[in-house]
Amino acid sequence: MLLPDHEFLKPASLAEGLALLAAGPGARVLAGGTDVVFNMRGRLFTPPAVVSVRSLPELQGLHERPDGSLDIGAGCRLTDLLADPLLARHPALRTALRAVASRHVRNLATLGGNLCLDTRCWFTNQSEDWRAARGPCLKTGIDACHALHGSPVCVALNNADTPPALIALGATVTLASVRGERQVALRDFYRDDGIDHTVRQPDELLTRVIVPPTTDRVVFLKETARQGMDFAYGTIAARADGHGARAGRITLVLGSLTTAPVVLDAITTRLVADGLGDDAIDAACAGLRAALGPLTNLYSPAAYKRELARTLLRRALLALREM
Amino acid sequence: MTDGRAPPPGPGLGVIGRRQPRLDGFDKVSGRSVFADDIELPGMLHGRILRSPHARARIVRLDTTKARALPGVKAVVTNGDAPDLVFSERQPLLAKGFVHYVGEEVAAVAATDPFIADEALRLIEVEYEPLPAVTSLRRALQPDAPLVHEWAAGNVAVTHDRDFGDPDAAFAESDLVITDEFRSPVQHNTLAEFHVAIADFSNPDKLHVWTPTQSAPMYQMALAKAFGLESSQVRIVYGNVGGAFTGRGRAKPHHFVAALLSRVAARPVKIKATADEEFIMFRGSGETLYRFRTGVTRDGRIRALELDVTFDAGAHAEWAMILWLPALYPNWLYRFEGLRYRGRFVYTNTVPKGSNHGGIMGRMSAGWMQHLTRVAEELGLDPAEFHRRNAIEAGDHARDGSDFGSCGLKECIDRVVERSGWQVKYGRLPPYRGIGIGIGAQASGGKNASNDTSAAMVKIADDGRVTLFTGIPDLGQGSWTVMAMIAAEVLGIEPADVNVVGGDSDIVPFDWGAFSQRGTFMTGNAVKVAAEDARAQLASVAAAALGVQAEDLVFAGGRVHIRGEAPDAPGRSLSFREAVAKAFHGGEGRYVMGRGFFNSPRQSGSMAFSFGAQVAEVEVDPESGAVRVLKVTVAHDLGRALNPLAVEGQLDGQVFSGLSQVLYEECRMDAGQVLNPSRLEYKLPRTWELPEVDYTLVETIDPYGPFGAKEVGEGPIVVTMSAVAAAVANALGEPLPQMPMTPWRLLRVIRHHRRRRARGAPGAAPR
Amino acid sequence: MDAKRETPPAGRSRVLRLVVNGDLHEVLVTPRHTLLDVIRGELGLKGTKEGCTTGSCGVCTVHNDRGEAILSCLTPALEWDGESITTIEGLESGGRLAPIQQAFVEHHAVQCGYCTPGVIMSAQAILNATPEPAEADINDGLAGVICRCTGHIKVKEAVRNAWRYAGGAGPAPGGSHD
Repeated sequence: MLLPDHEFLKPASLAEGLALLAAGPGARVLAGGTDVVFNMRGRLFTPPAVVSVRSLPELQGLHERPDGSLDIGAGCRLTDLLADPLLARHPALRTALRAVASRHVRNLATLGGNLCLDTRCWFTNQSEDWRAARGPCLKTGIDACHALHGSPVCVALNNADTPPALIALGATVTLASVRGERQVALRDFYRDDGIDHTVRQPDELLTRVIVPPTTDRVVFLKETARQGMDFAYGTIAARADGHGARAGRITLVLGSLTTAPVVLDAITTRLVADGLGDDAIDAACAGLRAALGPLTNLYSPAAYKRELARTLLRRALLALREM
Repeated sequence: MTDGRAPPPGPGLGVIGRRQPRLDGFDKVSGRSVFADDIELPGMLHGRILRSPHARARIVRLDTTKARALPGVKAVVTNGDAPDLVFSERQPLLAKGFVHYVGEEVAAVAATDPFIADEALRLIEVEYEPLPAVTSLRRALQPDAPLVHEWAAGNVAVTHDRDFGDPDAAFAESDLVITDEFRSPVQHNTLAEFHVAIADFSNPDKLHVWTPTQSAPMYQMALAKAFGLESSQVRIVYGNVGGAFTGRGRAKPHHFVAALLSRVAARPVKIKATADEEFIMFRGSGETLYRFRTGVTRDGRIRALELDVTFDAGAHAEWAMILWLPALYPNWLYRFEGLRYRGRFVYTNTVPKGSNHGGIMGRMSAGWMQHLTRVAEELGLDPAEFHRRNAIEAGDHARDGSDFGSCGLKECIDRVVERSGWQVKYGRLPPYRGIGIGIGAQASGGKNASNDTSAAMVKIADDGRVTLFTGIPDLGQGSWTVMAMIAAEVLGIEPADVNVVGGDSDIVPFDWGAFSQRGTFMTGNAVKVAAEDARAQLASVAAAALGVQAEDLVFAGGRVHIRGEAPDAPGRSLSFREAVAKAFHGGEGRYVMGRGFFNSPRQSGSMAFSFGAQVAEVEVDPESGAVRVLKVTVAHDLGRALNPLAVEGQLDGQVFSGLSQVLYEECRMDAGQVLNPSRLEYKLPRTWELPEVDYTLVETIDPYGPFGAKEVGEGPIVVTMSAVAAAVANALGEPLPQMPMTPWRLLRVIRHHRRRRARGAPGAAPR
Repeated sequence: MDAKRETPPAGRSRVLRLVVNGDLHEVLVTPRHTLLDVIRGELGLKGTKEGCTTGSCGVCTVHNDRGEAILSCLTPALEWDGESITTIEGLESGGRLAPIQQAFVEHHAVQCGYCTPGVIMSAQAILNATPEPAEADINDGLAGVICRCTGHIKVKEAVRNAWRYAGGAGPAPGGSHD
């Protein structure tokens, strides 16, 4: 599984990088490389050019803005963020960062890369030879889905650990291109399509991540086969204001279960009304099936994912109540 | 036995029993050790194999023209280049008209660099006509299933039926008969060093192959037969072997393909597996279905046993030789009146299967020990007591003909019961906590062919340094270090003074290799004989010099002295080096070379067996289905711990691998393809999941083993798998019919409990 | 396999300036080369092993200039132009093993040895970050590697005891274990 041929481009500035992305159709952004190199080895994509953004100065640095929010460079390595004292104010985010793969991967991988992590499917994220045996799919060329027969859209999983936590924290991301800059709330960043799984356009680069200040309670939980070096079977990030069972505002985000992180709105509304009592938590868990919609058997059985989601939700709500 | 740590060296022993760090440690920790993939030969080409994308198909067209035309391509081979070359059974080396599984070798290329080889592979055009395929064991057994091979009715490749005693009568006389079923998955060996072979067949009279192996002779014989050579014309070089775990017992297609490419190109050719090819080349365990039936008396005596085992062989029954093992296994553990074994290998259109760490016994025991635990509990007996009551003892003569010169099985059970706190925990743990006990036995080698021979040579340079030539591969288990210790013990010198030369079939004397747990026992004995031969030669020289009989001399502490006298008595003793010098520089000019071989005097079967018992404690999270192994208590009768440090390493690895297989490892198969062909998705636990491990080494000093030693290389993992499975069953209150025991499988059982409880029905509630 | 040379397409080859174990190398590489390909293929430093090539097994672990463990199989060689890395060959000094290497020998944290260079580089990286690592540091720092031989048990023991082998000759062979 050798790397396919491509042009390796390493711009010195953001402007130069954006120009390269605008110029070459199909150029691929390379940050830490831990996802892109992996997928290129399997020839999941064979871009004519790769634009390395890891060292762009505009993507570096973590600082506090006057309003107390954190402004994080998308090129910051996960390791650097974990070591930064400014992150101490967001313990749930730290938990999510630490949950990513292994230290080896976090020493290369960037926050922007984790937010843009490609979706995963075990019929697609394989070597070229392997895929040849199965035949193409929606993601690799034709109108067929091996994971969910008859599905009109790609149902590959969004398996990244940091998006649920950052969505719960109300993060926004900056997308830059030669056309200008725009801010997108992270909860609107993801799409229910395993192929075009974010709203980022091919010529855009995710440059900064803004995390607003909060005094809310926030938790992040990840369930996986093994604690280190593993993608999640399911994750949850949960946030609430107030204390104990009382909360005026709750945010619940499930990850790694579907094509995009799932923000649980209807359930949250009821919980705000009812509080975090045992019965309300039971009701919230019971309402999860409708909120999640159909699940696939990718990587773990759908029935298990459904039950795991309930367990994650119950545990997160109980944890919030204790905070 | 000890408190779990090193036993002291045995009485009168200077080296054996010492915690000896491995002698190749410096090379291995510094990056100096050379593995096959590190070798670059002059003119070496890089080979790649084109594989079938179909589980079953007819090859309509195969065109290699474009690949041959690519600059840098030096060889392209298809079946037409070696139409009569049969790899195994009736399997052609490269597909002949038809393919029978996803990944089957269709063509191969060799080129001057890996990128060109990769490119050339893409230029080979193959047109297939897909045919109906049988890609699961259950499907293969259905009456209307398509046939994988037309010669195999019902898709049955091989059967092995065997009875011991009178099982029908024994079942009829039983007070209670219980039946259970179990299923184990496709499992991978996950060797650290991927499959790799460099072949140089430039000279048609000599084939050189650099590759990791467990058995150079097996590789030599297979390659020689395929290419019309004598075994000695095939040289296997296997210096450092990056793990084996049953995965390197037999030569695989890539060895033959590399040789064929090299023959055509007249240059050395390297083939190395890519990440996903690892899951085609592997020959790990196939899916296996088991039915266990046991008849017992009211007082808890086993009268009758029945084992019915159906293996998925894949498209070719390359490993049919493992079929007879389960028939023998119960004979090494229990006393009984009758045993019935029914085994069959079944063809499917999937990659051919073999075995993995722990072998068939490990997988089977994960189910069988749950079953026997249930038998005990139905009788109202503590399973530990049940195992103990039926356990064989030293001096027993088993129904399969096995004799047990040493047996610490009951002592192992007693030790783990005591050290695990079994009496206070079994039946008294909180819900979803479980404790389980397993027992096991393992043969130390076994004579299945005309012999089970290991040979060794020792030469002693005039400076007193010893070189030991051995064919045993060091797969990581530390055989070379232990062999140096054995030679050093015999000669009364330090292991560091013994230079072990191994890993080249042109140099070393014959040794079947490191499989069937034969290394320490068979090779160890051979090395001991060779060292004793060298010692006898030295003794005759020293005896003449000291004016005593050779029998009166003692070799110890680097000196040769007279028994009963001080080792350094002036004029009455020699240093080892002085003795050697007297031999070489004395008038005789004797150069000391010792030789030895060892073979079992038995007609068949094994001379010695290791025994073990383990207790595992687990905790199941009833909401997520996750299992955590808290503690594994191990007691293993290994005869004698020659190197306790290496023994602990063996136990660690087997406990880890055993719990990994029971709880995590599974090739998720779909339409003949492995869905998780990677180190990421084929799950093994890592650092966070390690349990506490407590060891007791039970030393029974086997009468036939070298210094009393028996195997410890694969016996313990079988027991770990038994104990962990039994512990999970205990936590859930019922046997698990399938491994690995993944969160979703456990949740299904737990959900079932809840529904039954909700209905107020009695049933398996966790204790 | 080690990707040693690249023929077509020419023109994409570039000179990579890389300091490895203190030595500056200038080698011609293409975008297809990973850092691992350069270390093993171009520089012939075979101590670093090639395993899964997809970041999951850790046998290709080397250090960046901060002494952190990185996976050389997952990063294009050209990303490292002008940078400095350390491989297993750079851990010892003057033929003298680093304490962590000596600890691996003494504690039998080595069996088949294939993963060992990667595991030792991972272990050294833990000690670089936390000279007195807690259990969680060790678990986290070694979770990126797989070792079926040792089951990681004696590897962890070696990391915990590495300090014993610092400064001067280590204890006698087999002398120390916890």
